[in-house]
Amino acid sequence: MKLKVDYVTKLLLLLAVLTLSNFAYAQRTITGTVTDAESGEPLIGANILVVGTSTGTITDFDGKYSLNAPEGATTLEFSYTGYAAQRVEIGSQTTIDVALSAGEVLDEVVVVGYGSQKEKEITSSVTSVDAEDFNQGPITDPAQLLQGKVAGLQVYNRGGDPNNQSRTIRLRGISTVGANTEPLVVVDGIIGASLENVDPNDIESISVLKDGSAAAIYGSRGSSGVILVTTRSGSKGAAGVQFTYNGQLGASTAFNSVPVMSRDEFLATGGTDLGSDTDWTGEVTQTGLNNVHSLAAAGGFGNTNFRVSGNYRNVDGILKNSGFEQFNGRLNFSTKAFNDKLSVDFNSSFTNRTSEFGFREGLRYAVLYNPTAPVLGADAPFSFASEQYGGFFETLGLFDSFNPVSIINQNRNDGKRTEVTYGARLQYQLTDNLQITGRIGQQNTTIDNREYYPTTSLFRGNATSPTRKGRADFYNQNTSFRLYEAYGTYLNNFGGTDLTFTAGYSYQQNNFEDNYLQMGDFPDNSEDFSNILEASQDLQNAGFIQANSNASPDERIIAFFARANLTLGGGIFLNASVRQEGSSKLGEDNRWGLFPAFGVGVDLNNYLPLNNVDQLKVRLGYGVTGSLPAENGLSQPIRQIVNGDDGSVSTELTRAANPDLKWEEKAELNLGIEFAMDRFTATLDLYNRDISDFILERTVDVAVFGVDRRIENAGKLNTQGAELTLGYDVLRNNKVNWNTGLVLSTYKTVLDEYVIPEEVRASLGAPGQNGTNMIRVAEGEEVGQIWGPVFEGVDAEGAPTFVDVNGDGQVISAQDNALDDNADFEVLGNGIPDLEFGWTNQLSIGKWSVNAFFRGALGHSLVNTFRAFYEPVIATQSSYNFVNTELRIPELTSAQFSSLYVEKADFFKLDNLTISRSFTFGGSSGVRGMTLSLTGQNLFVITNYTGTDPEPALTDYGPVDNAGDIDFSTPDVLSPGIDRRYSYFASRTITFGVKLDF
Amino acid sequence: MMNKVFKYLILPCLALGLAACTDLEEDLVGDITRDISIEGIDVGGGGDASGELTAAYAELRNSGTANHSSYYSVQEVTTDEMVIAQKGGDWFDGGILIQLHRHTYTPTHDFVNNAWTGTYNAIATVNDKLGGGTLSPEENAQARALRAYFYWRLLDLYGRVKIVTQDSPDPPQASRQEVFNFVESELLGALGIPEVSASMDLSGSLLEDGGSAYIMNRYGALGILAKLYLNAEVYVGTAMYDKAEIAASFVIDSGVYQLCGEGCTVKNLGKRPKVESDPDELEGYAAVFAANNEGNPEHIFSVLYDEVSGTGMNFAMMNLHYGSQFTWNFDAQPWNGYATLEEFYNSYEDGDKRKENNFIVGPQLDFSGSAVLDFASDDDNIQLNYTPQINQLAPNSRREAGARPAKFSYKILGRAEMDNDFPIVRLGEMYLIRAEAIARQSGNWTDAEADLNVLRARAGVDEYNGNLTEEEFLAERGREMFQETSRRTDLIRFGKYNDPWWEKPASESFRNVFPIPQEQINAGTGLTQNPGY
Repeated sequence: MKLKVDYVTKLLLLLAVLTLSNFAYAQRTITGTVTDAESGEPLIGANILVVGTSTGTITDFDGKYSLNAPEGATTLEFSYTGYAAQRVEIGSQTTIDVALSAGEVLDEVVVVGYGSQKEKEITSSVTSVDAEDFNQGPITDPAQLLQGKVAGLQVYNRGGDPNNQSRTIRLRGISTVGANTEPLVVVDGIIGASLENVDPNDIESISVLKDGSAAAIYGSRGSSGVILVTTRSGSKGAAGVQFTYNGQLGASTAFNSVPVMSRDEFLATGGTDLGSDTDWTGEVTQTGLNNVHSLAAAGGFGNTNFRVSGNYRNVDGILKNSGFEQFNGRLNFSTKAFNDKLSVDFNSSFTNRTSEFGFREGLRYAVLYNPTAPVLGADAPFSFASEQYGGFFETLGLFDSFNPVSIINQNRNDGKRTEVTYGARLQYQLTDNLQITGRIGQQNTTIDNREYYPTTSLFRGNATSPTRKGRADFYNQNTSFRLYEAYGTYLNNFGGTDLTFTAGYSYQQNNFEDNYLQMGDFPDNSEDFSNILEASQDLQNAGFIQANSNASPDERIIAFFARANLTLGGGIFLNASVRQEGSSKLGEDNRWGLFPAFGVGVDLNNYLPLNNVDQLKVRLGYGVTGSLPAENGLSQPIRQIVNGDDGSVSTELTRAANPDLKWEEKAELNLGIEFAMDRFTATLDLYNRDISDFILERTVDVAVFGVDRRIENAGKLNTQGAELTLGYDVLRNNKVNWNTGLVLSTYKTVLDEYVIPEEVRASLGAPGQNGTNMIRVAEGEEVGQIWGPVFEGVDAEGAPTFVDVNGDGQVISAQDNALDDNADFEVLGNGIPDLEFGWTNQLSIGKWSVNAFFRGALGHSLVNTFRAFYEPVIATQSSYNFVNTELRIPELTSAQFSSLYVEKADFFKLDNLTISRSFTFGGSSGVRGMTLSLTGQNLFVITNYTGTDPEPALTDYGPVDNAGDIDFSTPDVLSPGIDRRYSYFASRTITFGVKLDF
Repeated sequence: MMNKVFKYLILPCLALGLAACTDLEEDLVGDITRDISIEGIDVGGGGDASGELTAAYAELRNSGTANHSSYYSVQEVTTDEMVIAQKGGDWFDGGILIQLHRHTYTPTHDFVNNAWTGTYNAIATVNDKLGGGTLSPEENAQARALRAYFYWRLLDLYGRVKIVTQDSPDPPQASRQEVFNFVESELLGALGIPEVSASMDLSGSLLEDGGSAYIMNRYGALGILAKLYLNAEVYVGTAMYDKAEIAASFVIDSGVYQLCGEGCTVKNLGKRPKVESDPDELEGYAAVFAANNEGNPEHIFSVLYDEVSGTGMNFAMMNLHYGSQFTWNFDAQPWNGYATLEEFYNSYEDGDKRKENNFIVGPQLDFSGSAVLDFASDDDNIQLNYTPQINQLAPNSRREAGARPAKFSYKILGRAEMDNDFPIVRLGEMYLIRAEAIARQSGNWTDAEADLNVLRARAGVDEYNGNLTEEEFLAERGREMFQETSRRTDLIRFGKYNDPWWEKPASESFRNVFPIPQEQINAGTGLTQNPGY
């Protein structure tokens, strides 16, 4: 095929030379046909543009076009998605037929940070996903577009929470322990933008920089990988302004719930009969409707083009009273001046989102609430003063038990978020070889979250108290990010060697401030007293109002960077970069770090006589990046106020200083092989990643440091992994096209060094299982071990018995002994999957197309905590319901963590199935094209896991009990594999979509 | 070379007009990084803690004296006076509570670690003040004596620890004898005497001669010395009962403190308006531990607790059943954890005022006098009813089983945080120490009767009359000192800590000190484990 390409190129050159006759015509009509160079089939809807003007047209069903070329037109450009564009001199021709070559991977340009590179010249692991390959359907978050599409990229939003509160995005596993584990998002050059603010319809392409050598140019913030989003811009010179409308209407239902006992089953176990028969899960879930509308207008005139889009989404979750409404607008504008020497790009986005976070506790307590309990107090079997509880029934005197219907109906948990982003880029061509670029960017976000629990809510509203009922919480946050960058790019060619040299300066400043207020004790339930706070009796009683405020220092990252790309003889590619980066978070002597990266790639196809091989590139990249936790003041001592009752004030240390704290460093070596042959493509990446001096707050000797907390460089992590991407065009002809792709990834993370030889962490929690740590972390061993005793059977008293793992004749299973030499504990599973895969199928038959995307993961386990607490029929808990999966052991009447509750969670699911049909209308009508689609998400899942969602739980947010709050801000990355009781149930969604081009 | 390149690269930065091209100073505006010390207002009465030592005294609350999972828990749950039984799915917590009671605790036990860090945090705060150079000589003496008290806890709990002072931030692990010597010499130093003797003269002491119980005065320091000497035989193998006797006697004979007996009353803050049987006042022993016990004449050195400004006492939450919230109309729901062993409860005779004060048993009434209902009751009786009998330690103790500790009595409309002050040195214990020290010196337990009878008279029970035995002495000490974190130390001194009782089997003698927490050994500053662990 390589020979073929050369042949085509030569042919085209010849054609160009032959038609190089310069007659000028005032205006004339040019007609022709655009076909696929390989198959000869006509290309429908190909773009034809008179270069230097906005005049253009597209081909019809037969691939034919007709164009009125204006005066002075000399060249036509022919383009078609997925094909290499061609320019043809018009000369004297009136008929120009063009054959475009498909699958032109070789010259595709990929955005790589501070510039772009030809894909073939890239020496690091970069995956680019174009809009047509995105996941379809009601995507509420652009991260979902990439789910399963990029080998090594993990995107998990366990359950169907529309507000993504516990979503995890990771590239290549755990990149750090204490710092941000999520990849850096760069939207149109604005570092650290939020993915949630981008309408998926606005995205042109996404590049994912996976390895250290690629991400190094972004420095510490890119240490966990970089996701570069390029939004659509105005189509240059297209005829007039083009409009696109996208609309979706969908419905979600709970895909799965935790199986619990029915009224009869519950009573058979001796459960307390409260006279009713209530399906609590049914009571708190709903069919969540969602609708999405977006409208974009794109166009251009002369050297200027623009695109404006607006997007509205209204999404309801499957949990009643959860969902969001969001408006999002985006403007992209670019123009050129001074003979095209100066180019100016401006983009801006605005997002306004109102969320109903709702209460996941509604789902939690629906599982464990007595199935014979009535929803309303009036239906209680005994006289129950339900006015005090807003008319709802409550099982008083129980720990961790709240009427779930009351929780979701009486209380509010809402938030507003406004985000404004703008960025401007100026680029000036100083000479043919030298270009300078300046960029400023800013992002401001405000968050206003409010919770309200009326006096009649037992859940957090303290309705049982005679004196202090009701609670209102307020949280406000302002964050701003400023970016200034300037860099120069020098290009030259020295006898067969292409050089690109880029060097620049980057200044980033983050500022943050927030405040929180909680108070309560409201008069009654007649008003929403969160708006009449002065009515709070907490103002009269000391010690009940909770308030705190915080502001960050001017947190800065300042960096100088340089990068050189060399292409030798068209087949050998060298890249090197260096970044000197400073952060305000470290002590004075340790602020600056120097982070280098190198890469080399060879297109062996240029040098080896390989028949029928289109590409065989081998590349090797190595890069070092620094990384720091999000917190400020890492190296400084932190104190807190101690008040005396006589008005005296003093302080005590809460965290010791560490002026010696230094950059956490990640060094990554990546070997990649890219192969293309006819219809088959394959990319293999192998990597080794060493994270040294990772930073975390740890327990230190209180006797020495005066307090037992200090932030230290605490150890080393190693991750080794492999990623394979395969693509194959199964069918490619004029009627049917079917291409299929498979991405596979696997990795293993080992804790090479740690300040503690081994420890157990991640407690199961109350009731009764505090101090039950389920995860073991040990120096020199793999991360993610679920650790506990091995279930053997049930003794006469209904208590579990455990296997004598070490065969020493005694069974030691107390949690306190978990790490003892003679303890009978072992690894019960691993929270991190061995293999993750995504399988894409795109089938088009004429105007019909089918997109089926399957996804799965193998080898990971989950602790099913609902079972661990509520499956044993505990006599003393006869007023809670019991979980009733197929794994339940009826004789077991005592709850104690063991292998019994650790389940393999391998799964294979049809993640997304979209069937669509496109319609094309004549050029003269208002509507040019229309596509109708029907999408199903989560249509089936094959798994043996008995919980609601088998997807890996990569981080843990700790135990929460008795109406406590879930803290999503402190994920524990060393404790994967725990399916907590606050998981949002998974959902299935069916969506109808319309796309109109006019 | 690289630096030169970067020098040029800074030009575009300057061109952008940024003042702070390479400025990376971090000014932590949202945190406190420097010590702040503001003097309190002297409102008369003298001797209130000065601002300088506010944080130091606050450490008495922060170090787990009266809440769950630290010092209080390890001192109480390991003994025959307290247990946290597993109630089905509730209060199993990985078995660590059962381990405490059955003496199978290990170096990774959370509570053992919490007690360690809590105490060392307290010591660090005191060292911080001692090293700050801003204390007056009087405050300096208070701080040293206070720190000695915290080291006494470490001596008693772990034996071999590091003696960290403001001048010695990372010393090697000391022997138990060295820790003993340090505690003794610091207290003697604060008292301004070379040793405790019959002829000692405290007039040179920089500590105050009486005054507020919230500051360490001469009698507080002497009281702690008395505890130290009483246990010297356990700690270092040398009996020092003579010194214990002298120290306790000195406090008693000073006349500064009086036993709170008949006529020593406080208003009963736990009285429910509609429940006639609730007394209007608390008298005597009950008044010593009441929610409004501040200024009690028996308190020599006490921890100031306040539901707002001095938090750290959670007994209502720890001890009571969920439904008991409605008895006092607490603003929070209790946790149903701690209870007293039946045998211990029964060691009190009926009519002992201490029995009445120290426990809650029987059917419970709510705030308005109606029955407290427990719809999840597991004894076929819907009314909440605490039974002294506990059916089992694990796994299925009944939810209502066990007499509930109530020595530090509960007040109506109380919060999760309580108001009762917690005495560390009180006159009643001085009588117990003197009595025991005398008996141990003479070898005749009836010699202890005189002092004990003072306490028994207050409790309204018959006096001893030539019938006191060692075993009875321990039982009497238990009845008096219940819930005051004294029992573990007492059982060890009487050689009973390793005996079996109820569901606790016999334990080995190495259990008499706790293991050095593994987390502290892991911190890598040279600690080694105690023998046996």
